[in-house]
Amino acid sequence: MNNVGDMMNDATDTQAESRADAPALAQDTLKMTARNVDVYYGDKQAIDNVSIDIGMENVTAFIGPSGCGKSTFLRCLNRMNDTIPIARVTGQIELDEKDIYDPAMDVVQLRARVGMVFQKPNPFPKSIFENVAYGPRIHGLATSKSELDEIVEKSLIRAGLFEEVKDRLHDSGTALSGGQQQRLCIARAIAVDPEVILMDEPCSALDPIATAKIEELINDLRGKYAIVIVTHNMQQAARVSQRTAFFHLGTLVEYGETSDLFTNPSQDRTKDYITGRYG
Amino acid sequence: MNTAIASSPDRQPTDWSADAMQRRIRARYRAEKRFRFYGLFAVLLSAGFLAFLLVTMISSGARGFTQTQIALPVNFPASDIFLEPSQLDGDDRDQLLAQTDFQGLARQSAIAAYGEDGPAFLSNGAWVLLRDAVSEDPSLLTRNETLWVPASTEVDFAARGDSGMRQSEERDTMSTRYAELEAADQVRRTLSWNFLTLADSSDPTLVGIWGALKGSLLTMTITLLLAFPIGVLTAVYLEEYAPENRWTDIIEVSINNLAAVPSIIFGLLGLAVFINVFYLPRSAAIVGGLTLALMTMPVIVIAGRNAIKSVPPSIRDAALGIGASPVQVLTHHVLPLSLPGILTGTIIGMSRALGETAPLLLIGMRAFVATPPGGFTDPATVLPVQIFLWSDELDPGFVEKTSAAIIVLLLFLLAMNGIAIWLRNKYEQRW
Ligand SMILES: Nc1ncnc2c1ncn2[C@@H]1O[C@H](COP(=O)(O)OP(=O)(O)OP(=O)(O)O)[C@@H](O)[C@H]1O
Ligand SMILES: [Mg+2]
Repeated sequence: MNNVGDMMNDATDTQAESRADAPALAQDTLKMTARNVDVYYGDKQAIDNVSIDIGMENVTAFIGPSGCGKSTFLRCLNRMNDTIPIARVTGQIELDEKDIYDPAMDVVQLRARVGMVFQKPNPFPKSIFENVAYGPRIHGLATSKSELDEIVEKSLIRAGLFEEVKDRLHDSGTALSGGQQQRLCIARAIAVDPEVILMDEPCSALDPIATAKIEELINDLRGKYAIVIVTHNMQQAARVSQRTAFFHLGTLVEYGETSDLFTNPSQDRTKDYITGRYG
Repeated sequence: MNTAIASSPDRQPTDWSADAMQRRIRARYRAEKRFRFYGLFAVLLSAGFLAFLLVTMISSGARGFTQTQIALPVNFPASDIFLEPSQLDGDDRDQLLAQTDFQGLARQSAIAAYGEDGPAFLSNGAWVLLRDAVSEDPSLLTRNETLWVPASTEVDFAARGDSGMRQSEERDTMSTRYAELEAADQVRRTLSWNFLTLADSSDPTLVGIWGALKGSLLTMTITLLLAFPIGVLTAVYLEEYAPENRWTDIIEVSINNLAAVPSIIFGLLGLAVFINVFYLPRSAAIVGGLTLALMTMPVIVIAGRNAIKSVPPSIRDAALGIGASPVQVLTHHVLPLSLPGILTGTIIGMSRALGETAPLLLIGMRAFVATPPGGFTDPATVLPVQIFLWSDELDPGFVEKTSAAIIVLLLFLLAMNGIAIWLRNKYEQRW
């Protein structure tokens, strides 16, 4: 970590203006890299020349005003933008040094390795158990019923939901409260044991207690997965992330150590945003 | 901003208890009540029509399930037929039975029992019953036995106290004779399975609906087996895979138009294609099924597309997001969730197909078919066509049979819809 920080500082010193363009993670801790990514919805450009590094055992937060392209960029990382016919992505994004937009890349496997939790909780209209078991089942991760049970239980425990639902695993997942549904979606995502988890405002519909639970969960998961979280809550970004990226109007304005970015932003736009002057 | 508006001098604070407000509230309640009343009225009206239809059909058709029977004493040993029970043990039993003049026997027995006009009391097919009785129990041949056989239409009408279309003097003699018969307990009216087990006949006392019912079953089977999978797959392809271009648009418009094409056109198409080009047999269930499938498919496609479209995108995202392949998303999530909608479309399409007459007339399913079809390629007719044919008969005995056939058709429809609704409810899920 120190190493990373040093490099970061070096970059800032020499080239303050283009801090965002200076990826500053040591090679061996890199999980994903994006280079010169542009995204267009039809003719409209939503992401303009974004380059970013995602660290391996680390939480990266994306912040920025509404409509600046955080979700759009997040969806590039597991190619969920493929499902939007008018979306077009250019540039290069690598996972473990493999180009994920390469035709040889298997999108289905990519999405199993790079899991996603959506902004709005979207459990399947099936039982709680089935929601969590679905991923392991389609990927053949469990060889027996008991193994599957174990995966489901473990995932629910890690998502902090097990205690609340252990007596009604076979009730509908859609009958849970919003916060419980979101934790169910997190359990569903970690049940396939991904390497990267992308979370798009996972707490936007939750009360402070549920939010705290999810933040705790993110902290627990940090050692195991690379996590990217989009949030509108500055305190949350400061609490859970190690690195923060600030987006504005489709560009990456500033990217660096969370502590640096919040205490000593190098860009005026970042400063204005985190001090609440616009957005 | 809000405070600026609220405190601006030219805007009074809203007075929620003012007269105008109260009037508005009352008007709103009235409008709501009125609207509910209109809805209730519409429901009651349609329920009333339905009840009226059912009551008229059942009251005039129920008699079609019964049969007027007349007692026929048959003295087998004294008759002209020289059959011994032992002869019927051999392999040539059917042939022997076919060679025996049961028709004459029935005539003789009727004359013996009721005098010169006795044979007119019997249904034309009464002798068949004698033959069947002997075939079942050869020991009859050694006995003098009274059998109950179907009575003729005339007796049947007299039993009802209805003139039918006979001339009045003929009717009068018949009703006096009938009164005598009844007094002597020589006629009875019983529930009869014959109507449900026999096929078409020229004698209304001997017709049955089974031939047409089986024809409908076979035809509907073909229709369902073709229209459902093809319709669903088409809907899936158009919704999930088809590129957005001119061709897709053309296909879409064609399918929508196809659903609106009058059914008789499909009959012409079936005639031209299946019979004249592919040389499939005329009047057969397979051609009827194919023709009706053409008609049903667009309905299923349209309903299926709407159902698939209404699956929330968040469900697809969720499945894709944990690495489900597009086909898995489709088969595990989209199709199960759209199944209720698809089934609703299927119910509508199949109900329409079941009641369809015009296209089937064109492919020859109006033929007189006296034996129930054995398979998909045998000559067959279907319930609505049978109803149409019977309603066209001159013999007044067909009137109640027509109503009875309508009851059977309605029950078939109810059963079919019942199964579909049960399936739909079983798969109905909320999200
Ligand atoms: N499916 C789409 N089709 C067309 N334009 C889109 C689509 N999705 C997003 N956009 C546009 O792309 C831009 C970025 O949207 P995006 O959803 O990435 O913003 P965001 O930063 O996630 O905002 P928020 O914080 O409100 O979620 C917006 O201007 C939006 O209108
Ligand atoms: Mg967003």
